[in-house]
Amino acid sequence: MSNYYVRRTARVFATIFAVATLTFGLIRLLPGGPFTQLRAQLLRQGVPASEVDARIANLQNINPNAPLWQQYLDYMSSVAQGNFGESISLGEPVALIIAEAVPWTVFVVLVSTILMFAFGIFLGSLQAYWEGSRFDKAFSGLSIALMSIPFYVVAVISLYVFAYQWGWLPTAGTVGASVEKELSIPFLLSALEHSILPIFSYTLGGIGGQALAMRGNSIQVLGNDYVRVARLRGLADRRIATRYVARNAILPMYTGFLLLLGFRLSGTVILEQIFSYTGLGYYMFAALKANDYPLMMATFLVITVALIVGVYIADLTYSKIDPRISAGGSDEAY
Amino acid sequence: MTAEQHGTANTTTAMTTDDPIIEIRNAAVTYDGGETFVLDHVSASIERGEILGIVGESGSGKSMFADSLLDAIPDPGRLSGEILYHRDDGTTVDVLELSDDELREFRWEEVSMVFQGAMSSFNPTMKIGGHFKETLKAHDADVSAGMEFGRELLSDLYLDPERVLDSYPHELSGGMQQRALIALALILEPEVLVMDEPTAALDLLMQRSILTLLEDLQEKYDLTMVFITHDLPLVAELADRMAVMYAFQLIEVADREQLIGNSGHPYTRALLNATPDVEAPLEEMRPIEGQSPAPINVPPGCSFAPRCPLATEECRVEDPAFTRLDSGHAVACHHAEDAREEIALHFDRHEDSIPASGGDEQ
Repeated sequence: MSNYYVRRTARVFATIFAVATLTFGLIRLLPGGPFTQLRAQLLRQGVPASEVDARIANLQNINPNAPLWQQYLDYMSSVAQGNFGESISLGEPVALIIAEAVPWTVFVVLVSTILMFAFGIFLGSLQAYWEGSRFDKAFSGLSIALMSIPFYVVAVISLYVFAYQWGWLPTAGTVGASVEKELSIPFLLSALEHSILPIFSYTLGGIGGQALAMRGNSIQVLGNDYVRVARLRGLADRRIATRYVARNAILPMYTGFLLLLGFRLSGTVILEQIFSYTGLGYYMFAALKANDYPLMMATFLVITVALIVGVYIADLTYSKIDPRISAGGSDEAY
Repeated sequence: MTAEQHGTANTTTAMTTDDPIIEIRNAAVTYDGGETFVLDHVSASIERGEILGIVGESGSGKSMFADSLLDAIPDPGRLSGEILYHRDDGTTVDVLELSDDELREFRWEEVSMVFQGAMSSFNPTMKIGGHFKETLKAHDADVSAGMEFGRELLSDLYLDPERVLDSYPHELSGGMQQRALIALALILEPEVLVMDEPTAALDLLMQRSILTLLEDLQEKYDLTMVFITHDLPLVAELADRMAVMYAFQLIEVADREQLIGNSGHPYTRALLNATPDVEAPLEEMRPIEGQSPAPINVPPGCSFAPRCPLATEECRVEDPAFTRLDSGHAVACHHAEDAREEIALHFDRHEDSIPASGGDEQ
């Protein structure tokens, strides 16, 4: 058993290593190559030609004239130390930019994903209990409609209506410009106010899918003999609803929840762009536009690592919450 | 529809017992508002302390009969008629008249049930012990005393109580789950235990040992048992009295020896002849031609008539009433006397040569 945990943990690092290597390789395959572009940019900025290579080496932790393996080793060892180099477009260390951006993104993604599951599970189980009722039919239709509207459409519309037309909520940013960046009540309120629209638009569309999944799971569980036996044994309806139906219906969605957390981090590229919300996705897009390779590589790495860690946690904890699954063997979540 | 006819024909309870614990009068189950019946106006009585075996093929209404005893017909079925339960103290209740709360108490405390799929009768994410505890709590019973009794029951069933109570259902074998389920059914010391195909999913050896255990339990706790199965030889070993169901009705009720050795209904006799037996030569096995009717096309008159070698015009027109043939033996057939002569039973009529369980439909 402990052997399994060791192997599983080793695999996390192996995967991250592979991703970092791929990032390094892919960057090199980009048209024009990162260094040609960077060199031209530096020259345009008036950096003397003799200093350009030194500047590049400084920015990227890479000496462009060294052999490829040398560059690779330099890059990997600095990444391992948390040094992602310096952002070309912003002129700040990448690690600093990411450290400032990640909390906002994690906040929005975490809250919206939890809300999405909470509403989805609640509505889905109501639908299952009243299967075939008018509510069930109407809400199933609504769920499918919600699922088919992309979140960025919801985002743009809600931004237009609530922020620009009615002026109820701010149009951009993570906190108000006049608020001090410190842990205080005005700061928290302002942060909350700014996050409402991103969270709302990132949650709404997802509720439908989760509700349909929960509905299906619950109907299946409700049809099981053990629910019928539980009723005959005289158990209270509430106990059957929670301990029998909800528990067994939610279990299969647990892995999905952790995976979705990772996946939705990457969805913030569009979301944060719409709301000018300076999180991870916002900087990734900015880096893409500005050909800011160090920043691009770092954001990409962070998002991938988040996904890998999500799967890792799902794998390690699933056996704890579902007694039928024992850790190890072929029951892993991916 | 002939349902009403069936009903009136069968209300005359040919079978009454001295001290019935449950009397079923004209019980009928319909899923389409009375067009068709999956339990077609059945009347029967269950004697206190007996083991009643109910035999019938798949889809003959056996499970509906079992579910009726607890007023537990799966939705959206409707159960009508009377299910009279005679308490120890002499009072009588109609189970169908009980309020929701009374019914909740009645089930498991008075009449309990074991379902066919033990594997699916436990919550997969709860330990066996949790099932026992929550049942005791739901009935406001003393949990520690109840668990003590539960351990005793599990020991009676040759299970290691501590290990079983601390296990999740999937950690137990099918036979262990089945025995644990029987213990769970008896945790509140009910008077009556209804078992719907309790051994269907088990291998022959496990079926055997469960039967023996059930006999011991019945003696020790003075239980009344209703044992429902498609496996005629199996229940023949256990039951005091047997009833045969065909096409949603009871067609014959008699003491075990009488039903096996001297049955009066052509279907029962054909069923006995169709039972596989290792010792009997293969030529002697007789399948019953045709198949039993679906609820939507139960024939008028006797429902077995289309497959019956003795059927006459009378059988096709008039549904035979459930009538007394001998003492303690009732049959729904116009030609019961003829059947005994015309349809010979292929095995010896001695009680000790009841054919061994054939193990069909495993």
